[in-house]
Order: sequence, then C-alpha cells, then structure tokens
Amino acid sequence: MEQPKIPVDTILRHLAEDAEKVQDRVQKASDILLGQLDTSIASTPYEIVYEEDRVKLKHYAPTSVGRDGVTTPLVVVYALINRETMLDLQPGRSVVDSFQKAGVDLYMIDWGYPTRKDKFLTIDDHVNGYMDNVIDFIRQHTGFEKINLMGICMGGSFCVMYAALHPEKIKNLITTVCPTNFDTDQGLLHIWMRNIDADRMIDAFGNMPGDMMNFGFLLLNPARLMIDKYVGFLENMDNKTFVENFIRMEKWIFDSPDVPGETFRQFVKDCYQKNLLIKSRMKLGGKRVNLKKITMPVLNIYGQYDHLVPPGAAEVLTSKVGSTDTEDVCLDTGHIGIYVSGKTQKEFVPKIVKWLGEREKNSTAPKTGIKDKKPVPKKAPQRARPSRTAGPKPKR
Amino acid sequence: MNQGKGHEAMYGSLLEAWMKTADEFWKSTALPGPSSSDTYGMPEGFQKKTDNKFQESFESTMKMWSTMSSVLREPKAMDAVTKGAAAVPEIITRTIGSVWEGYFRIQQQIMEKLGRIGEDTEAFKFDKLDENIFRVCADIYEKELSPFFKVPQLGLTRFYQERLDDTLDKYHTFQISFAEFLRLLYLPIEKSVKVLQQKLEELTKEGRLPENSQDYYRMWIKILEGHYMTLFKSPEYAETLSETLNTFEDYLSARDQILQDSLQSVPVPTTREMDELYREIYHLKKKVRKLEKDQSKD
Repeated sequence: MEQPKIPVDTILRHLAEDAEKVQDRVQKASDILLGQLDTSIASTPYEIVYEEDRVKLKHYAPTSVGRDGVTTPLVVVYALINRETMLDLQPGRSVVDSFQKAGVDLYMIDWGYPTRKDKFLTIDDHVNGYMDNVIDFIRQHTGFEKINLMGICMGGSFCVMYAALHPEKIKNLITTVCPTNFDTDQGLLHIWMRNIDADRMIDAFGNMPGDMMNFGFLLLNPARLMIDKYVGFLENMDNKTFVENFIRMEKWIFDSPDVPGETFRQFVKDCYQKNLLIKSRMKLGGKRVNLKKITMPVLNIYGQYDHLVPPGAAEVLTSKVGSTDTEDVCLDTGHIGIYVSGKTQKEFVPKIVKWLGEREKNSTAPKTGIKDKKPVPKKAPQRARPSRTAGPKPKR
Repeated sequence: MNQGKGHEAMYGSLLEAWMKTADEFWKSTALPGPSSSDTYGMPEGFQKKTDNKFQESFESTMKMWSTMSSVLREPKAMDAVTKGAAAVPEIITRTIGSVWEGYFRIQQQIMEKLGRIGEDTEAFKFDKLDENIFRVCADIYEKELSPFFKVPQLGLTRFYQERLDDTLDKYHTFQISFAEFLRLLYLPIEKSVKVLQQKLEELTKEGRLPENSQDYYRMWIKILEGHYMTLFKSPEYAETLSETLNTFEDYLSARDQILQDSLQSVPVPTTREMDELYREIYHLKKKVRKLEKDQSKD
C-alpha cells in the first residue's frame, strides 16, 4: 500500500496529544498561579548612604575578600529609562551579588521617579549635579581620591560625559551597552529617533512618559515582544521557577519612570539627531565634552545582538577617547541578556573584576585627609529593606 | 404713480389722526397727578423730596413726548413722514432680499465644499482604496472640514470657543493619523498569513507538511517578524509614526489648554501655574547649590 503524501493521521495524533498536554498544563498552572510565588526583585540588602531630591545612592558592601584585590569603590550609573533593579533581578543571576562576592565595594545610583517638578532638569543637572555630588560624597566617605565608574546604557553616556569633564576623579571607566555613536542605521531606534520632534513631544508631555517609551520599545519587535513572549509563557506556565522569573522580568520591564523633559529633549537632539557626543562637540553647562580628556583606562562592553544599542553605536567610543588603555568586549547576547542571562553572568562580572584588578595594582592608597572633610549627605545613612516587592511606586 | 399718491394721502390722513390722539394723550398724561397720598406716613422731608424728584422726571418725559407729537403734527413734518412711510415696503423687500442672497451664497459654498470631497477622492482613485483611504480622509478633512473649526469666533467667549474648536480639530486629525498607523501595523499580520498559506501549499505539494502544531506557529512568527522588520525600516512607516506622534502631541497640547480654562474657575492651581512655580524652584535650587559649593571650596 502506498504511503499518503500528507501524514494526516500523524498530525491528528499530535493534535490530540497537544490538547492533552495543554489540559494538564493548565491544571498545573492554575495551582502555581494561585499558590505562593516568590517574584521579589532587588532583594539584596543595601544601605542608602546619600540622598538628594529624588536621587538615592545605594551601597552594597562586599561580602567577601576578592581574589583580584579590587579595593577602589565602584559606582554604577544606570539609565534614566527603566530602573537599576535589573542588576539584582533574581537570586543566582544578580550582577550586584556577583560584585559583592568578588569583594567589590559597590555603590549604585537610584534615579527614582521624576515628577512634573523635575521636568526642567537637564543632562547637565544629572551629570555635573547629582553624579558629581554622589561621586564627591563617595570620595570623601571612603577616602579614595579617584573611584571606578561604570555606566549602563544611557547611564553609560552620562559616565562618558562625566569622565570627560571630571577626569581627575575617575580611576577607571567601564561602559556597558553604552550608546555614544548615534549615526548608525543598525538599530531601529536610531532610525526612528531621527524623525522624532523632541520639542513638540516635551512641550506636550512635560516629562517623557515611561509607558510611552515602553510602548515604543515593544514596537521594535512586536512579533517577539508582544506575541511570542507570551506564547512562551503559556507554554511554560506549569513551571514554577519559569513563572517566577518571568514575572520578575515583567515587573522590571514595565516599571518605567518618566524621563525629565529637558533631559530627554537634549539627549534626542544632541545625541540621536546631531551625534555631538562622539564628535566631542556636546556641551553641558557651557563646557564642551571633549572625549580626548578621557585618559583613564576604558573597558567598553556591548552585545552582539543588542537591538537598542547595536555594536555600531557602542564600539566607536574607544577609538575617540584620549586613553591609550582601552578594551572592547563584544558578548554573544542582547541588550538585557548581558546582565541577566545565565551564560553571560559567568563572563560579565568576572571580566570586569579581573580588568579592574589588573589596574588596581597601580592604585594609590586612600588619602586619609579627605575622609575628615565635612560629609555631604543630606540624610543620615539608613538601612534599607530589600525593595519593591509590591510592584512599582505610583508615578504621579 | 397715481397709485403712489393715493397711498401717500391714505398714510397722511391716518398719521394725522394718530398724531392728534397721541398729542392729546401726552398732554393729559403730563398733567400733575394726585399729590403725595401714596407716600402717607413717610418722614416729611423725605416725602417732599421724593415727590418732587419723581414728579419732575415724569413731567419732563411727558413734556418731551408732547413736544415731539406737536412737532410731528406740523404739515411739513407730516409730509416728510408720509413720504418715508411709502418707502417702507421697498426697504423691507431690499433687506429681506439681501439676507436671502447671503444665506443662499453660504449654502452654495457649503455645497461646493461637499462636492469637492468627491473630486478629491477621485484624484487618489479608488482602485487602491485600502492603501489610500487614510490619506484621502486626511486630505478631505484638512481641505474641506478643518476650515470650519478655524472660523474666527466673536464676543466675550471667543478665546474659549476657539480653543474648543482647535481641540476638536486636532482630535480629528490625530484620529486619522492613528487609524493609518494602526493599518500599517496590521499589514504584516495580513501579509504573513498569506505567505504562510503559500508556504503550506508548497509543503503540501512536496508532502513535507509539519506534523507538530507548534511548527506552524514558529513558521508564522518568523514570517511575521520578517515582515515587521521590513515595514519598520520603510520611510513610509517612519513618516506615519512621526505624523501620529505629532498629531497626538498637538491634540494633547490643545486639550490641556481647555483643561487650563476649566481649572481657572475652580480653586486649584493650573498646570501652567505649577510649571512656573517649578521653574522658579529649579532655578533657586541651582543657585543655592552653586553657593554651597563655592562656600565649601572657600
């Protein structure tokens, strides 16, 4: 007997099996979703050591003495888009935890939730205002004349600006998924941003709404981010660990503070539309951001498959700075994967710690005199609870 | 001509009789009325003062009407009035005529505008209706309907009315842009389903139809992703996205203007007022911080 061209019987059998599996999955999923779930994010304990307006400085003390001997404090500056909680998303996959275990004295800026009163804050206010105050505080608090600075995404761009304007305060600069060259067609965001009327947008909204930006990010790949992602959830909703981690990511991704209006306006116009930063022609507070002033060692890490900050936007930096000690590292992942994927967790923090350790040997000991200066904090240090288990704080 | 003179004579006799009656009426009315009986019990000084003032005013008005009636009864004045009265029907006819003419002209203009809607649609042709419909709508709206919302308003509430009209105008413009944006977003779904059908036909012919239902989904999502990427890179999409955002922002700004108007009548600060305050605080804080830094350096 001749075999039929289309195995209808096999297809039907698979369909029946699938229907049974779905039935079973829904039953298990219902037990999981109605039961106790641990979906807390940013659960590593920290201390708030400095506060200014909406901005807080989190301190994560090292939990062990690292082999690489990094003693210089490391300050992490996150972007104004989404929140720094991404670096401490889930147990076992926490950049913060990895740094602590590697013996790094870690500080992290929490930009908070800008409200309408923050709409006039410019990039200058963030870089030469808040960041400078935070870094001065750490320098005075720890006694180190220079500190290590690490920036993430837009926070990386801020760090580049800061390092160019205050090179005397920075020992090493680490940029991760950091856009500096905006004249590239590799990412859709770069193409779209050229057509955005930032003036009209900010005049209408005041601050740039986080939800609107998130909608824009979803539109970068709607097939994957709005359909496939949730199909994936439905396929795995009988797996408790998967559900917990999925909800953690959802919590983080939709916890989007608004971006202060004037900062957004300047970032779009000066960076995305005029590409002034990489040309060393950007101005903050009347001062030119000259990348040649970045003479400290620079480590530049980016993702091969990053759709928000493609390699073309990140890799040019090291060729434009004044430093002779630079290194580019391209990881085999995307924009967020660098910080959360299990694979890159094994590469990312160890690489940074090793790189810092190698440059720590030339480190100058803390100047004790600096420590005696009058401290900057507006508030007394306080022990903070692991934050945001109950979801985002209302924005307005 | 004779008929005209006849009308004049008729108006003349009627007017003379009416004038005579009116003259006598005003004269009799102007005579002083009964003295102060209505104000009995009031203080004497006040009573006298009130009586005098009221009576003086009344008598002066009556005398004025009486004089006017007498003047009108003069033969020359009567003649002039009679001639004027004969011209009344002509004046009325001309006034009504001009009002009707203006009304018909406006109506004609509206009809012409509505008629042009068809002309515009023709210019884009209906053979690509699904592609052009939103552009056609936008064009029709901009040329033929939007001007109605831009008609200058008059009177005390003109600014409020203009802001309301502006908001309605911007809202409609945004709706058209948004509809086109949604159409573009839907296109890849439509196309991916067609491509999937073609692919399945080919696989069926080759006898390589996937056995697992998930394989069909994966095939579709891959095609869909490819179509979206192609769409997103197109200048048409970038233009539509930009237009949608612009019209949305214009609408929000116009809407906020109305909200400002509404808030002004209730005892809460408006956004504009708060923004002014925030700006002042921002500059003050900056100054204080600079002073603090300068002081700590010293």
